[in-house]
Amino acid sequence: MSKEKWYIILAGLIIGVIASVLVLLGNPANMGFCIACFIRDTAGSLGLHKAAAVQYVRPEIIGIVLGSFLLSLAKKEFSPRGGSSPMTRLILGFFAMIGCLMFLGCPFRMILRLAGGDLNAILGLVGFAAGIGCGILYLKRGYSLKRTYRLPASEGAAFPATTVALLVILLAVPSLLIFSEAGAGPGAKHAAVWISLLAGLIVGALAQRTRLCMVGGIRDAILFKEFKLLLGFVAIFLAALVTNLILTATTDGTYFKLAFEGQAVAHMDGLWNALGMLLVGFACVLLGGCPLRQLVLAGEGNSDSAITVIGLLLGAAFAHNFGLASSAKGPTDAGKIAVIIGLVIVIIIGECNIRSNRKKG
Amino acid sequence: MIYIATFFSHFGAMHCKKLCDQAGMPARMMPVPRKLSSSCGTCVRIEAPDAEMIPRTEETEQIALEQADGYRILYSYF
Repeated sequence: MSKEKWYIILAGLIIGVIASVLVLLGNPANMGFCIACFIRDTAGSLGLHKAAAVQYVRPEIIGIVLGSFLLSLAKKEFSPRGGSSPMTRLILGFFAMIGCLMFLGCPFRMILRLAGGDLNAILGLVGFAAGIGCGILYLKRGYSLKRTYRLPASEGAAFPATTVALLVILLAVPSLLIFSEAGAGPGAKHAAVWISLLAGLIVGALAQRTRLCMVGGIRDAILFKEFKLLLGFVAIFLAALVTNLILTATTDGTYFKLAFEGQAVAHMDGLWNALGMLLVGFACVLLGGCPLRQLVLAGEGNSDSAITVIGLLLGAAFAHNFGLASSAKGPTDAGKIAVIIGLVIVIIIGECNIRSNRKKG
Repeated sequence: MIYIATFFSHFGAMHCKKLCDQAGMPARMMPVPRKLSSSCGTCVRIEAPDAEMIPRTEETEQIALEQADGYRILYSYF
């Protein structure tokens, strides 16, 4: 096996252990990391939505962006670029978040839910893989968000700088932010700020070096029979699973429970778990990467990915302001309609894009 | 000689592969090697007698020569 594959497996193992330990240190169950949930919590803390249960500026998000930013600078890979269909990316990011909040987690959390024994995530994984398959059909038919262009360094640094500003506000003027009260819900559960930040920095740096991407992993496996990126997520699953089993055996808490019922921050509607993640997989293939990858690329100076993250943030705010997000009770009717609209819009984007490319070609 | 051409999009790689096929140059699409880029897109591995024969479009980001110890960049947009 190549050295690169070993690096990816090692990175996945480290990330899996970190994710489980974050739960031990205060994060919600099976949510050591969840890019969608953490962006949603951050949106709430900034007052972009009023769901009292999910409001907290998650330092993990800041850490991932800055970990990628600092390492890409050190390795001379910081590359300010953008101009590749920004509005389309914003819309795709928006609906990817709608899909995530139907399922209650991003692809990263889907793996962590599986590692915690949450069998509902299997339905999510099936839908996610099907969504990636749909996206690949569009890639093969000539879908493209067009090329990127070189941008000034200030443009590439703007998003990492914004996360620094958010960190300064969190540490120095937290009164500007809104926080879920103790016992109010997942937003009130978190590890200490510096631990979350450190975990984010490590994961951001590792993901930058290895290019970890859940969408890219399944996409490359289908398109090229190349399993390198997928190995990273298998490693995350195995490391989180083993750590969860050890924690369950050695502490008072339950970190692994093999069941559909009684899972934390999850519901049991299999159809909508699958359809939510189908939307995520589909939209993310058209975007070129999963939400984790978008954060990492934004840290590397890619303003298209930064716009996508803004789309995710907007999607989270809308999802909670208009009752689209699921809860432990299940999906809402409004959420189901939003996922169907999302699938239709992603198809329309794909078809219009291919037609415009054919006209040009 | 073996060359690796990277692109701004998967579509760019597909287009290049098609042009290589038409020109009779053996080419196959694959994930971009990590040593060449931190992007995780699609590249085309091309067997060509000369780098000048590799089709360049506005989607071409990089062309590199494959060597025993890695790659030598011959062209890069960035």
